[in-house]
Amino acid sequence: MTDLRDEFLSEEDLDLRNLSQDELIAYWNLWLEQAQATNDLDEALYSHGVFDRDPAVVEKRSPRRPG
Amino acid sequence: MTSNLYLDLTQELNRGRLRALLSSGQAVVVHRLAIMSKDGDWILREDAEAVEHALEILSQHGARYRFGAPLDLRWLAGGWSAHLEFRREVLRIRTDFVTRPPRITPEQLAQMWGEAQATGDDVVRVEPLAAMKLTNRDKDYAVVGELARLMTDPRSQLLYSRSSRDLIRLAGEHPEALVEAARQRPLLTRIGEGREALDEALDRERRALIRANEERLARYMAAAEDWARLWPEVQRRIEGLPLPDAHRLIISRAEGVLPFEPATGVAS
Repeated sequence: MTDLRDEFLSEEDLDLRNLSQDELIAYWNLWLEQAQATNDLDEALYSHGVFDRDPAVVEKRSPRRPG
Repeated sequence: MTSNLYLDLTQELNRGRLRALLSSGQAVVVHRLAIMSKDGDWILREDAEAVEHALEILSQHGARYRFGAPLDLRWLAGGWSAHLEFRREVLRIRTDFVTRPPRITPEQLAQMWGEAQATGDDVVRVEPLAAMKLTNRDKDYAVVGELARLMTDPRSQLLYSRSSRDLIRLAGEHPEALVEAARQRPLLTRIGEGREALDEALDRERRALIRANEERLARYMAAAEDWARLWPEVQRRIEGLPLPDAHRLIISRAEGVLPFEPATGVAS
């Protein structure tokens, strides 16, 4: 019988442990390249630090209507 | 060997001297847990030479400032973060810097630098990384749960584990570590009550940690309100400027507008 354990991340995530250093870097680089697809969506957002939104991007996206 | 831009940048930041520790999501990748973030985050040594070197490296890459604090010790020492960005081929590279990472005491920070200096390892170790990952984002708690499993010290595992099963097992195997860890983590005193009670306590602890970080961020955002109003104009003025010129201009505009430290107390 296999002991159950609390799972936090997927098997795919944890499988990074089984990659060689070169395989890890190749997979990491590919992931970063594919993640660029969401650049427009997160242009104003922050994933670290103490800021949450870039006000200049918000301004750019909602230009004042003339008149 | 294939290279990775975040590892390369960390090397460049540390050329000649240890100045920066790769942190957050990219450090999680180095610890081989998951790839969850496309942005880079570093803890920078809080001294003038480290900041100057970082600006020089970023300038060489053609980086530009995003909204944030200036990469300047007066703001960094107040816990602010500085954010810059550049492009390399198809990639948008975001580089975020702090010198005072959240939930890390000055003693722990000094220890982190001491250990990094001694080992030459410029990636944040699993214990402080887990502390930094106790954010207001649910997904980070999954990472903390797995980081705890990488820790070799049972006391550290007891401090950071997110699994009631693991906690009960650790308590049985390391009763002395439990006594010590329970002084810092009250939910550990409930281990004897079983998994259900412990799971509830873990949920409550996570919600409290999330709220605490939200309140911390709210203090910074409130302190940055005037700076945020000014930023669109500042950004127009720095557009196209070389980074050193943009840096000087940003500092001159931020002085008197963005306080070096946010007001203490809870903003809600």
